[in-house]
Amino acid sequence: MNRLSVTKSILWFITGLAVTFGAARMFFGLGAVSNLSDATPWGIWKGINVVPGIALAAGGFVVTAIIYVMRHHEYHRYAKVSVLLAFLGYITAATALVVELGLPWMVWHPIVYWQHHSALFEISWCVILYLTVLFLEFIPTPMEETSRFAGIRRFLIKYKIVLVFLGIMISTLHQSSLGTLFLITPEKLHPLWYSSLLPVLFFISAIAIGPLMLIVGVLTISTLYNKPLEMDKLSKLAVISMIVLIVYALIRWIDLAATAKLAIAFTGSWQTLVFWAENSLLLFIPIILLAIPSVRRTRTGLWTATGSAVIGMVLNRANMAGIMFVATGKAYTPTMYEIVISLGILSAAILAFLFCIERFNIWDVKWSSDEERPEASPRFGHASDVWLGTPRIAGRMVYSLVFVFSLAVGLAILPVNRIQSAGVSDVPAAKARGGATLFIDGNRDGYGVVFAHDDHAKRLGGDSACVQCHHSNVPMDKQSGCHECHRNMYVNADVFRHDWHAAPAGGNLTCNACHQADRQRTAETAVACDHCHKDMVPTGATITLEQYLAPSYANALHGMCIACHQEQARVLAEKPDLGRCASCHTLDDVPMYLPDDVITAYRDTMYNHVVLPQSNSQTDGN
Amino acid sequence: MQELLDFARGPLFRLTIALMVLGLLRVLILDIWGAITAYRRAGDRQLAWGDALRKTIAWLFPVKRVFTKRPIYSLCSILFHIGLILVPVFFLGHVQLWKSSIGLSWWTLPEFWADLLTVTTVVFGLTLILGRVGSAQARYLSRKQDYLWIPLLILPFITGYICTNMVLSPNWYVILMLIHVVSAEVIFVFLPFTKIAHCVLMPLSQFILALAWKFPARVDDKICTTLNKKGAPV
Repeated sequence: MNRLSVTKSILWFITGLAVTFGAARMFFGLGAVSNLSDATPWGIWKGINVVPGIALAAGGFVVTAIIYVMRHHEYHRYAKVSVLLAFLGYITAATALVVELGLPWMVWHPIVYWQHHSALFEISWCVILYLTVLFLEFIPTPMEETSRFAGIRRFLIKYKIVLVFLGIMISTLHQSSLGTLFLITPEKLHPLWYSSLLPVLFFISAIAIGPLMLIVGVLTISTLYNKPLEMDKLSKLAVISMIVLIVYALIRWIDLAATAKLAIAFTGSWQTLVFWAENSLLLFIPIILLAIPSVRRTRTGLWTATGSAVIGMVLNRANMAGIMFVATGKAYTPTMYEIVISLGILSAAILAFLFCIERFNIWDVKWSSDEERPEASPRFGHASDVWLGTPRIAGRMVYSLVFVFSLAVGLAILPVNRIQSAGVSDVPAAKARGGATLFIDGNRDGYGVVFAHDDHAKRLGGDSACVQCHHSNVPMDKQSGCHECHRNMYVNADVFRHDWHAAPAGGNLTCNACHQADRQRTAETAVACDHCHKDMVPTGATITLEQYLAPSYANALHGMCIACHQEQARVLAEKPDLGRCASCHTLDDVPMYLPDDVITAYRDTMYNHVVLPQSNSQTDGN
Repeated sequence: MQELLDFARGPLFRLTIALMVLGLLRVLILDIWGAITAYRRAGDRQLAWGDALRKTIAWLFPVKRVFTKRPIYSLCSILFHIGLILVPVFFLGHVQLWKSSIGLSWWTLPEFWADLLTVTTVVFGLTLILGRVGSAQARYLSRKQDYLWIPLLILPFITGYICTNMVLSPNWYVILMLIHVVSAEVIFVFLPFTKIAHCVLMPLSQFILALAWKFPARVDDKICTTLNKKGAPV
């Protein structure tokens, strides 16, 4: 195995794991894989993928500006790489965003439902527009492969300068507005990071990191594909970045000094350690290394300086987007699955980068034949000692095997306990109170629905109307209330109790009393309830019993009322809102027959959730 | 023991069944991909589609072939396959496990037929080994895996039969169930990477055989050049 195959195999493995965990997130929700909560909704996905992904994509507009606007055409060779890097950076951010949004299928909402007061509204429009621009900038490259799109390709290349300007405009807006976003968090963000200059700082640091990220990309290509580097051009680009980094450092440190926050940096808390680490990685190491000509002209020197800056940049954005938020509630530590998904999105982006580099005319690494490829040396499968074919076919076999294996491993270590969560806690449903008018409040939390029972019965046809709703009685009972069977507020209840029927102390029935003698003993082969309990189902009941589970109290009552109400809302012209939530869940959701002062007292105790003074015995008991 | 059984039924089962399903999908896709590439490159695009299809169907129900050569061996093989496929998929206990874990269930075999097919699979599996050992030609063609596969395949059938039909002490039940589960999982892991992959590749084999005789365009010139006989008729 050579360097390229090993790299790609590792990337495929991480991607495979991330695909399984990502699927679990999509099917079973955020809680299945992540520790995100309402208190800490921004986690590692924001910190590693979304916010830094945008910053690292800045090369797209910075380098194209250097080439096409400032007319430094000697860097023309790097235009396609930087656009590709930016495109993949934005796709990374967008993918991570879809993974981490609570309701990802509503990701299109900002396009239709405008909310001009929100900083995120502007940001989402920037992402949408700039992704489009980057797509149009990038798409001519793969279009070279076929002549079918030659017309579109020529058009896009002809008006490239328009796209370049649009890209610069939107990026300027977007990079700085990401900083604007954090202006609304002065009391949440740690003072060493919070500044009223955040938009400016975000924008300038993005300009600095753009060319450095391009250099990292070029160095990666050169290392993996054994291609020579143009050291003088790359080091010149690096110098531009270094100058911008110095400007950034000056603004940031002068701002810290001017707002009298510099002293905080020397208090020695863990936040200050992170602050120094970030500043060393992002500012001190790159600036010092790039300032020395003999260092910045070597491969190692360039690797160290740019790699350090990129890692420092990720740390900076991660600090802004989460780490340095003063804990507002429960502390958040990402789960293993979150970290793997985060790395998997990055791995997939790197694989896409390598694919584009190999496949399209972006860099001079396109192979005219398979023998030229860096992994072309004769290779044999480790398990079988069989020649696996030309590099392309061998790659297909090896990487698909790695991918399949990692998917299986991911499935094996899925967080089953999180997916099969303990679920909703078992809240018993309580009887509705009242007489002719019932107050339905199953969980007794004070919020309920007033239900005019006799009024409904009268309107639906008097005594004969009972069976329209009442569909089952507890044995020996007549007119059983809903709560008798729908015993749980939020989960289904077992109303049959098989073990009770079989137990000597209970029903004391033999198996064959219900199950057929010569068949498998399943629910399907047993007799129905009314085989013994003759009066269980009232004659004429419109709802039939189909299983031994009674739906939860909330579902049962919603199911009973809503369908009929919606039907009536269509029929009755004078009551068009009958099907809406508020027609039952009104503000007067306390018993109407109570005197006014009682209602007021009731509401005061119930709605304000009066906190009772804690007694000592209670704390001792715990 | 119980912990081992829980592990074998939980994470290990998920790992191995995923490896089997995805691994089989992988070889299927790679084979089709390779076949399409070969077909595109072929100089001669004429392919006897109907003939290959007829052969595939004929091999799927090899009734006509049974009594030509080694009739008893062929008959045993068919009977062996019936139980081998039907029982693991349609046994009631297995379907109940699927139902309780992922909520899917399907048609099941009656208990009598499940038992009968289990016994036939074991008996005819053993006969197949005897047939292989007994014939000099078959011995000559056999590799190690050809001898090892059948014992491995019937092991879960034997243990499964004992677990469902005999009254066992809890300890023995757990041990036998562990052997039952783990041996099935060993089968799952090796299935896509050995000859048993024919369970999904079988429908393709006749087409790929037909394709294998199609050479890329102008390959004859290349062969002649390599043999230093440029211009010679091929």
